[in-house]
Order: sequence, then structure tokens, then C-alpha cells
Amino acid sequence: MSAANSECGNQCQEALARLERYLDGELPNTSLEEVKEHLTACYPCTDRASFEEQLRAIVRRDCVESAPPTLVSRIREHLSGLQTEG
Amino acid sequence: MSDVPAPEIGDGRQADGTILRQDLSEAERQQQFEDQVLPHLDRLYSAALRYTRNAADAEDLVQETVAKAFRSFHQYRPGTNLKAWLYRVLHTTYISMYRKAQRRPQEDLQETLDDYSFYDEIARSGGPSAEREVLEALTADEVKQALADLPDTFREAVYLADVEGFPYKEIAEIMDTPVGTVMSRLHRGRKQLQKALSGYARARGLIDEEVDA
Repeated sequence: MSAANSECGNQCQEALARLERYLDGELPNTSLEEVKEHLTACYPCTDRASFEEQLRAIVRRDCVESAPPTLVSRIREHLSGLQTEG
Repeated sequence: MSDVPAPEIGDGRQADGTILRQDLSEAERQQQFEDQVLPHLDRLYSAALRYTRNAADAEDLVQETVAKAFRSFHQYRPGTNLKAWLYRVLHTTYISMYRKAQRRPQEDLQETLDDYSFYDEIARSGGPSAEREVLEALTADEVKQALADLPDTFREAVYLADVEGFPYKEIAEIMDTPVGTVMSRLHRGRKQLQKALSGYARARGLIDEEVDA
């Protein structure tokens, strides 16, 4: 992460360096608690974290589709075809 | 992966009464497959569409994936993560059908954007919109296009993490790559995605034109 927030120093740098893994739910417990604690106390870092979270939510929302009904029925037909062959 | 159907043995039950998959009749096996796998079709198609970037290829990919999954369903261990197993089959099918034929930008040729931050860019630009408003103003087509423009391996990693919510370890298994590689693809893929989105935001005047620190 590039920019530490100007308002604070090392603690922000450390938290932001772990932010991606934090948001991915991949931090080990001790580290997780440290980041959580920092975020409760530091508004600029929290703001940045919620921006990143919102971005992921947007990707999740916009990149999901339904399978075309024709594809679903083709697959079902294919599977029942297999059964009669067998 | 074998096409040989599993043999039927006895009444298909262990002493404790659990049904062994290999003991199921062909019809039961098929029913079980349909019940468990078909509910995942929407998600598989979603992923296939992101991977291949066009509907016709995505349909072919899903159809082939389901056929392969059916043939190798005996290799799936009940009680383990079926969704991850299906994504693994989707991944290998995708590689064999498409990736080797593609001439897409490779990840090692990508511009390094390690220090890039969309958040900082919006804040710096002093444009008309706050950070969150910029995100809300992005259209679904812009988001899809930004994802589509990533190199294959970045796009797949970002999709698996951000859309499907798979943990690093499972993405590593699905993509058959070390966890460290997954983390680096995710990091670089997300940066590149943000950079692309900032381009769209700029083009629409959501953030100011000039500054590029």
C-alpha cells in the first residue's frame, strides 16, 4: 500500500500493509486483532478499508450472471442421454 | 479421469449404513450428481463468462466442465468442498480448451502497479465526487470490462477471491499454484483493476483529468 495517511505514522503503515489480507480474512489471530484495534482507533485507515471493501462488493455484484435456460436444458438432456446409453 | 462406470456392489451400504458412492447404481449416481451439481450451474456459467469473455465460449466451457465432472464424479470425496472441486474441474477444462490457444498479455509483462491506489487517486484529484460516490457511479459494464482486461491468471484469481470468496488455500488448489503466487496475482490483479476503473471514472469526469502523481 502506498500512501500512509498523513495524520499518523508507523501504525498506519503496518495496518495498511496487512489490509488486503485482513479484508480477505487471511490474517492469523494476533495480527488480526492488531489490525482491528488500529481500525477502531484510526478514521483515515477505516475509511480506506471500507473503500476497498465496497470495491470488492461492487465486483461481486456486477460480475455474477445466470446460466441461460437453453444451456441448463441442454446439460440436463445430455445427462439423461448418458443414462439411457448406460 | 476415467469414463468407466463404478461397479455395483451388494446393496451399496457400509456396516454403518452410509451409502458408498461406488456402490450406487448408475441411475442413483446420476441423480446424486444432478442434485448436487446442477444448483452450481449459474455460478459456473458466471465464472466461465468471466474467464472466456464471451457467451458462446462460456456455454461450451460449462457444458464440457459438467461432462468432465460427471465422468470423474467418483473422484470427488463426499463431505469435501464440492464447489471448490467443480471450480477445479472448470479450471483444468478452461486451460485445455482455451488458454493455450490464447495470445493474451502475460502476467510477467504487466506494468507494476504495486504502489497504485484508486482511493488515493480520487482523494488527490480533488474532483467533484467523494471516493464512495465514484465507486457507486461506475456501471456494471465498466466493472466487467475492467475485469475482462486483466491477464488470464489475474482475472481468475480476482474472480475466485472477490466474487466467490474462496480462501487463498482453495484458490491455490483450484489454480494448481502455490499460495504465494495466488497472493501476488490477487494483489497485482486488484491494483490493475483499480487502475482501469479509475480510467473509466476519469473519462466520465468523475475525477479530474490532469493530476497523475
